[in-house]
Amino acid sequence: MLQLNASSSRWTAFFLLFLALCSLLTPAVTVKHENFKTCDQSGFCKRNRAYADSALSTSSWSSPYKLEASSVRFDKGLLTGIVTKTVGDETIRLPLSVSFYESGTARVTIDEEKRRKGEIELRHNSKARKERYNEAEQWAIVGGTVLSKGAATTQGAEKGTTRVAYGPAGAFEAVIKHSPFGVDFKRNGETQIKFNGQGMLNVEHWRPKIDKPVPEKKEGEEEKKGGEESAEVDTNVVTADDEGTWWEESFGGNTDSKPRGPEAVALDISFPGYQHVYGLAEHTGPLSLKETRGGDGKYTEPYRMYNSDVFEYEMDSPMTLYGSIPFMQAQKKNSTVGVLWLNAAETWVDITKSSSSANPLSFGIGATTTTNTHWISESGLLDVFVMLGPKPQDVIGTYSELTGYTQLPQQFAIAYHQCRWNYVTDEDVKDVDRKFDKNKIPYDVIWLDIEYTEGKKYFTWDPMTFADPLGMQKQLDEHERKLVAIIDPHIKNEGNYYVVDELKSKDLAVHNKDDNIYEGWCWPGSSYWIDCFNPAARTWWQSLFRYDRFAGSATNTFIWNDMNEPSVFNGPETTMPKDNLHHAGWEHRDLHNLNGLTLINATFSALLARSPAEVSHPIRPFVLTRSFFAGSQRLGAVWTGDNQAAWPHLEASIPMLLSMGISGFPFAGADVGGFFGNPSKELLTRWYQAGAFYPFFRGHAHIDTRRREPYLAGEPYTGIITQALRLRYALLPAWYTACHEAHVRGEPIVRPNWYVHPEDERGFELDDQFYVGSTGLLAKPVVREGQLESQEVYLADGERYFGYFDFEGYQGPGVVKVSAGLEEIPLLMRGGHVIPRRDRPRRSSGLMRWDPFTLVVVLGKAGDAEGTLYLDDGESFGYEEGAFIHRKFSYSAATSVLMSEDLAATGAGGSKKAKEYLKGMEKVRVEKIIVVNAPAAWKGREEVEVSEEGAGKSGAVRKVGMEWFAGEGGKAAWAVVRDPGVGIGRGWKVAFA
Amino acid sequence: MRSVGALLCLEYAATVYAASGEASRPRGVGPECTLKPNANNVEAHIRVLACSRAPFSPLLTNSPPVAKFYKDASTFSCISNPSIILPLSRLNDDYCDCPDGSDEPGTSACSHLSSLSPHTSADHSRTGSNISLALPGFYCKNKGHIPTYVPFTNVNDGICDYTLCCDGSEEWDHVGGVKCEDRCQQIGKEFRKLDEARQKSLGSAGRKRKELVLEAGRLRREVEDRLQSLGAEIEGSEMKVKQLEAELVEVERREKGKVGRGPVQKVGKMGVLVGLAKQRSEELRETLARVREERDASRGRVQELEGVLMTFKEEYNPNFNDEGVKRAVRAWEEYAARDKGPEPDAAHDRDLDAITQSDKDNGLDWAEYESEDGEESEAVVLHSFETFLPLSLRTWLDTNLRTLRTTLIDSGILADTSSTSSSSTSESKAVQAAHSRLDAARQDLANHHKSLASHQEDLASNMGPEDIFRALKGQCIATDSGEYTYEFCFLDKTTQKPKKGGGHTNMGNFVRMETVLVDEDVDEKGRGLGKGDRIAMRFEGGQHCWNGPSRSTLVVLGCAEVGEVWRIMEEEKCVYRMEVGTPAVCDLAGVGGGGGGGRGKEGREGRDEL
Repeated sequence: MLQLNASSSRWTAFFLLFLALCSLLTPAVTVKHENFKTCDQSGFCKRNRAYADSALSTSSWSSPYKLEASSVRFDKGLLTGIVTKTVGDETIRLPLSVSFYESGTARVTIDEEKRRKGEIELRHNSKARKERYNEAEQWAIVGGTVLSKGAATTQGAEKGTTRVAYGPAGAFEAVIKHSPFGVDFKRNGETQIKFNGQGMLNVEHWRPKIDKPVPEKKEGEEEKKGGEESAEVDTNVVTADDEGTWWEESFGGNTDSKPRGPEAVALDISFPGYQHVYGLAEHTGPLSLKETRGGDGKYTEPYRMYNSDVFEYEMDSPMTLYGSIPFMQAQKKNSTVGVLWLNAAETWVDITKSSSSANPLSFGIGATTTTNTHWISESGLLDVFVMLGPKPQDVIGTYSELTGYTQLPQQFAIAYHQCRWNYVTDEDVKDVDRKFDKNKIPYDVIWLDIEYTEGKKYFTWDPMTFADPLGMQKQLDEHERKLVAIIDPHIKNEGNYYVVDELKSKDLAVHNKDDNIYEGWCWPGSSYWIDCFNPAARTWWQSLFRYDRFAGSATNTFIWNDMNEPSVFNGPETTMPKDNLHHAGWEHRDLHNLNGLTLINATFSALLARSPAEVSHPIRPFVLTRSFFAGSQRLGAVWTGDNQAAWPHLEASIPMLLSMGISGFPFAGADVGGFFGNPSKELLTRWYQAGAFYPFFRGHAHIDTRRREPYLAGEPYTGIITQALRLRYALLPAWYTACHEAHVRGEPIVRPNWYVHPEDERGFELDDQFYVGSTGLLAKPVVREGQLESQEVYLADGERYFGYFDFEGYQGPGVVKVSAGLEEIPLLMRGGHVIPRRDRPRRSSGLMRWDPFTLVVVLGKAGDAEGTLYLDDGESFGYEEGAFIHRKFSYSAATSVLMSEDLAATGAGGSKKAKEYLKGMEKVRVEKIIVVNAPAAWKGREEVEVSEEGAGKSGAVRKVGMEWFAGEGGKAAWAVVRDPGVGIGRGWKVAFA
Repeated sequence: MRSVGALLCLEYAATVYAASGEASRPRGVGPECTLKPNANNVEAHIRVLACSRAPFSPLLTNSPPVAKFYKDASTFSCISNPSIILPLSRLNDDYCDCPDGSDEPGTSACSHLSSLSPHTSADHSRTGSNISLALPGFYCKNKGHIPTYVPFTNVNDGICDYTLCCDGSEEWDHVGGVKCEDRCQQIGKEFRKLDEARQKSLGSAGRKRKELVLEAGRLRREVEDRLQSLGAEIEGSEMKVKQLEAELVEVERREKGKVGRGPVQKVGKMGVLVGLAKQRSEELRETLARVREERDASRGRVQELEGVLMTFKEEYNPNFNDEGVKRAVRAWEEYAARDKGPEPDAAHDRDLDAITQSDKDNGLDWAEYESEDGEESEAVVLHSFETFLPLSLRTWLDTNLRTLRTTLIDSGILADTSSTSSSSTSESKAVQAAHSRLDAARQDLANHHKSLASHQEDLASNMGPEDIFRALKGQCIATDSGEYTYEFCFLDKTTQKPKKGGGHTNMGNFVRMETVLVDEDVDEKGRGLGKGDRIAMRFEGGQHCWNGPSRSTLVVLGCAEVGEVWRIMEEEKCVYRMEVGTPAVCDLAGVGGGGGGGRGKEGREGRDEL
């Protein structure tokens, strides 16, 4: 820790100096804070923060929520009961359910009886639904909800509690306290997570509006009747403010009519003994979330989640961004736990930490830190999932099982994407395409932003500038390249436009509070928004993408859904009014954060149904989204929105993408080069070097910027950028394997230090370096200007590490210096791994399909190594029928044998598709094996023995050449096996001794 | 899948060996190479190496000097590292042995040996850090067309690269079942046809260029002639100016001597005039006052409006990118940047205040003038009197009176009415005439000087080699692109004209000629800049761009039979690049580019080089 601190504080100083200089040099472009609410300006947030303050400052505070013991029922993993809230004479009944799932997840759900039964009255003759929103689950949750048969109430529980043992081997326990209501979640008898331990639970019940009453009682005040010591003046002030936001709120000239009155839900969730919490994507701050109640280096605002189009967003801020995943993981040494707060309404989360030690300086010596969080949502159910780990992957895996795994991307989707707002004509696109080839720079996808349309009418092409879209796509297809075209959810309100005509006549758009079609302003001017919560709207949306309707689209056309927060230029906080109405009468406020997900869900389905031929032989859709929620990972890729061509944005991209990775949505990237502004050539070069390690790798630029395709940079920059791109392409087999791990287990594609080394407390805050999948590749891209000498890389364990390019040896644990010239990417290989590569440069990833493999075997401290390769056709769903290759490569020092074993699941090779695929791959071989850190004993040896299964020559042993090279200086020795020629999809052995 | 492959033919004669034979070996089996006689060819020197993976000779008859490296019958030495000696079985076995890639002329195995690829120590084993390929690429014989080198990265990638390799030989391994038939006959035929057209076109372009040179010469001579005649004209003008100056002095002297030269008027009419003047003055004063009020009101409104727009500009959200709003902001910025005309001038306003006071307050009492008729007549009488005298006496009198008057004026007793110094209205017609003659002559002279300077500048300026653009100066070529028509006028300006109507946008005025290095494609019709140095015209200072610089254009010229705009690109915000074909640069375009025709196979290879 000390070591790290010393270096990081020095860098911090440099960085601050740099920032200061930057602010002098660059025109100030900053977010318009006045366009977005602070907690104080968001009524329910302010009310609940004040409630929390009361709870904390009142010594005799008692939460008014009680579980009626008599109501408790437990059956087959489901506990139900009634929580009551007492306010004066009134008792509000809140149905509780606590579910225990086979996966080891527990779920606590609290509803409100009156609203559920519809026994309330809405103001303004609103046609909104009366219930609390209970459909977030339908969108976000896809699995892992089988109730546990093994879960059982514990007999002999102390009075006033109900205990349920559940989870693997019954190691988990939920201790439900009756009065005040609260739940402690234990693992092996130790409390990991506490609900309502601080008494901040709050369900704002329905009440009629009483005009001109005596000052309305607010909930916090009710309790204070008993607690005489509460400061009266404060209470009055709070009460006055409170009521002001119960029935109506105005912000930025827009008024929210709030027909259902106050309806927030809030809960404190504590993690005793956990120093760090991660998650709550997407924000620009560090991976390890900061405290939010003020203090040195801490935020004063809670983390906010209200998907918004934030123009020129700022660094290191808890402000909301385009998407939100209300999932949090807490980390302490050797233990990870997590919670998912399933609520799609505007949500704020306060984080504070408390140390048990009186002297905060003695941190680490017997002291424990507890992280307290306070979750506040504007409406909907209180619905929380609890995962008790203990390993990071247990938590993320369970979360992914619930919300779905990352789509297995098409191969092209993880290659390089070239985007710009805008390539202005079809000839322009073809020209860029040719220039990449001419400069021998690989790329797979070129993108079209909004200008390709005729007057921003989606599903049309500007006849002046894109007269021949099919000819353009044909040229792209010649080298297996793709086109991604933007389609946004706002539909231009203009005559003679079939899309808007149908939208209106079929009544598929979002409605305003008066239940008429909602009109707002976006790129095309006056627009309507498709309501993808409506099944009929989704069916219609699918039809729009059919080749016969979206004329000019082709089989290599894929889709980018932007502005789906939704972004409404003239709406409150650049989005829709909260009292807008969606399908089935839900208010926009209830489901806002889900809106983006529903759009890409519809687009995803649409891409599976573009022609009858494709319906029977579907290829995997590719959809890029800007807005997202828990579950969006199933449907596409995401990027971090409109960043800036400035070093701090490059730097922030890494923690942001790591955060996406541990939030179950790892297929994410940031605009390479920075969207707004013109990057210097050094910045552009460094950004490509970093971007080569983004799971989603796309260069993009604003319409007002200079062109910056890699071939325009000039030497030495173009050459260096090309190397970075070719490195990405060479490592595509490793990336694809990592994507597969995300697809089947929910593992992050790029992994932060704490995820890989949960035992290493010193690395818990590290968020500027990461591992690629489980390849052992450890990257720390340079993200600061003028840093041309070296980069410090932290090694968490005692393993041996080697420079990827120079085989320089490093010994962990500790900080090592890695050379970082402009042409270098600090990239290490952790000992003990096997990295699959394809070294032949091609024009696109599709053209690498038949290329041979190189295996890099990096022997670790123990002399062993292991790695995997997942491979399929990269485009179809054939893998679901076993059409894939999944191998485990392992080298054992004991036997000196490298072998390839089949990891294929049962049934692989059985189906027709599987057989066809394997037959096609028959000739694809391993052309080279590089053993890094090769034993000195191999010196002088010139041959290895290769044996391969199948091909009728089973067991036949061949000898192939091997050469051993001594490493000079600090470099490791290495050996190269010359063309072992073994099939990549077959079992084989290479004996080195 | 039929595997033709598997034969490496090393061939030194002009004969082509068509590879045939069945699939060699499954992958993963070590190369087993044997020497066997070529059944199809009796030439003694031809050996066919039936091994490994490559089918055709990587190096055919016309191939470059590297062929000699592959002659040895038993071993092969890497070209750049002769110390590395390989058995022939390692040639084209799809594994890269030589640090310079020379053992794999027929596969993609060494394609990563490029400074564009990332390398590790394993690649540097034998090369140190110097990684470069010895061979320019995979050699496509392209029988029936022109042989080329294809980048190794394209070999056996499953794509038929017919534009480079019309015989399809670079896909000899048929990966993924791809079959690239030989299309050289057809492609070669088309190429020759087009090439013929290109040659023809080039010839025609050359003739056109000659005509342009002649025309430029003629125009130059015109300018030179004009310069000569201008010299003579200037001399004449200078003389004329001198004469007229003298004349003016004389006329003025004479006029000063005249006595009582007041305007001749009939008595009584003056009174009417004064009446009218008074009335008119009154009217004007009232109108002025009203116009001033209106002006002040308008000025107030403009200020208010500008304030509104200023706030609008500061507060609008550019993220919304509403075209209407953007346009309005842009127009406002352009408006705000324009010269606003004179600021309200306090002194001017004070003058106006004074003017709008009554005439009397201004010291003009109309009543005085209405009763002043008598005095005027005296001078008239004196004049009349003069006419009655005999001529000699009249001359004497005239002379003496003039002398007297001059004396009196000089001594300050009499006011000078001939007005050499005061208002011209009182100047005599003779002096006025003399003045205007002199002014005209001076203007003439100045014009001539200006013309001389501009012609001299014109002659001295760079109008391209052989002065050729002189013949095209001011001529314009236009093309449609998207919603605009773009126009380029030689040595003049570039313009963007919306097709839907509306104002033209100046994209820059000519500032200089430049030479730029280009590397662009040439299409089958020979349109395109090709590769090398090209003449370009730089246009700057066009209409200012919203959120950007003043528009500017670089027009790069390539050879073409007729003038045409090939491409127009907005390379960055308001910085345009035009590629224009014109016969004017035809002879100057280097080999392998410059459009037009005449790019024979050198041109083609030049383009395809690695």
